[in-house]
Amino acid sequence: MYDWMKKIHMYAGLLSFMAFVVWGVTGIDAIFLPRPGEWQPPLISGHAEFPFEGGGNLDDKKLAKAIYEAANLAMRGGYYDIRRDEAGHLAFTAFTVNGQRDLTYLEEQRRVRIDFRDGDLGSFFSSMHTGHSRRGPPDLPARLWGYYNEFSTWAFLFMVLSGIYLWVATRPGMRWALILGGITTATTLLLWVMTR
Amino acid sequence: MFRLMRNIHLILGQLFFFYAMLFAASSLVFIYRPWLKLPRSEHEQTVRVAAETARTPRALAFELMRNHRLKGELGNIKQEGETIQFMIARPGTRSDVRYSASSGEAKIRTRRDGFLETLVQLHTNHGFWHDFLPANAWSLLSFLGSVGLFLLGATGIYLWFCHHEERVIGFVILGLGLVYSLTTLVLSRTA
Repeated sequence: MYDWMKKIHMYAGLLSFMAFVVWGVTGIDAIFLPRPGEWQPPLISGHAEFPFEGGGNLDDKKLAKAIYEAANLAMRGGYYDIRRDEAGHLAFTAFTVNGQRDLTYLEEQRRVRIDFRDGDLGSFFSSMHTGHSRRGPPDLPARLWGYYNEFSTWAFLFMVLSGIYLWVATRPGMRWALILGGITTATTLLLWVMTR
Repeated sequence: MFRLMRNIHLILGQLFFFYAMLFAASSLVFIYRPWLKLPRSEHEQTVRVAAETARTPRALAFELMRNHRLKGELGNIKQEGETIQFMIARPGTRSDVRYSASSGEAKIRTRRDGFLETLVQLHTNHGFWHDFLPANAWSLLSFLGSVGLFLLGATGIYLWFCHHEERVIGFVILGLGLVYSLTTLVLSRTA
């Protein structure tokens, strides 16, 4: 039992290694995120346009949906903030794992302009770390990453529990490990009670 | 060296056990949320607050925290005429307050999430700018846990490498994981 547990513990860690790197970077990067309301989108890094003929009987919400579908943005994950800009154009923001995309429908020209605001690697990892088998952009690479990320979550849970087993099975009387375990338990409980 | 690394691996595992369980369990809640029935309770209460202690939303919030056992962070402040609205929230609990200066009454609707949903909110809690001190402490724990994850990974890799009989299969598994994950990451980033 012990030998097999150790092997699976090791193999699970090796297979999930990259997911742990992505989670670790995301966790460290999260400390430096601005507080709510202070977030600023990245600068515009590029533009694109495509022709689009909107149906005359569509309201803004339906028109935005039609434009979003027609834009077929790579690695997209939804759109929000449908509005009219100063010039009266329909505008909205789409989310992709590579950054924000601002879409504007230039009705007179029958064209849609896309402003790309590419995010940094930290925000990319942050987006990717949330992916799983049923969540994330529909693109194949993101779906495949989602399966890996979900597997890694289970692997992580297994490693935490098997790690405790491996400790108890080999060195249960290790005094400093017991003291450390006690301190960690007490600190976490205290914090939990203070929070709840 | 092997003994030292094994002890560091154990220390890190001990230090971040609860943090790791929190993140593993809450991640699974994120994934399987549609299948889970997460409990939540709500209750309402009305309290009287003297107008002089409710001159501003912040003053009213401090009064409610001091004398009516509300705790958390002040947010979503709205003031229209004689009505003040805001929320006081902390991981797992959120109170929406609506105060009318003319009646001197504050209606408080409090929503209390269950254990798993609270874990989810602790998972997404970040930054050291919180007015609610435990939220900063959880953020610090997240940060240290993330650093710990790297150190656990590094010591784990070392410990595996010291097991000579596991090197070949280990390299195959590590290689497969890296090729698969890096390929999907790079393709996602360059899409």
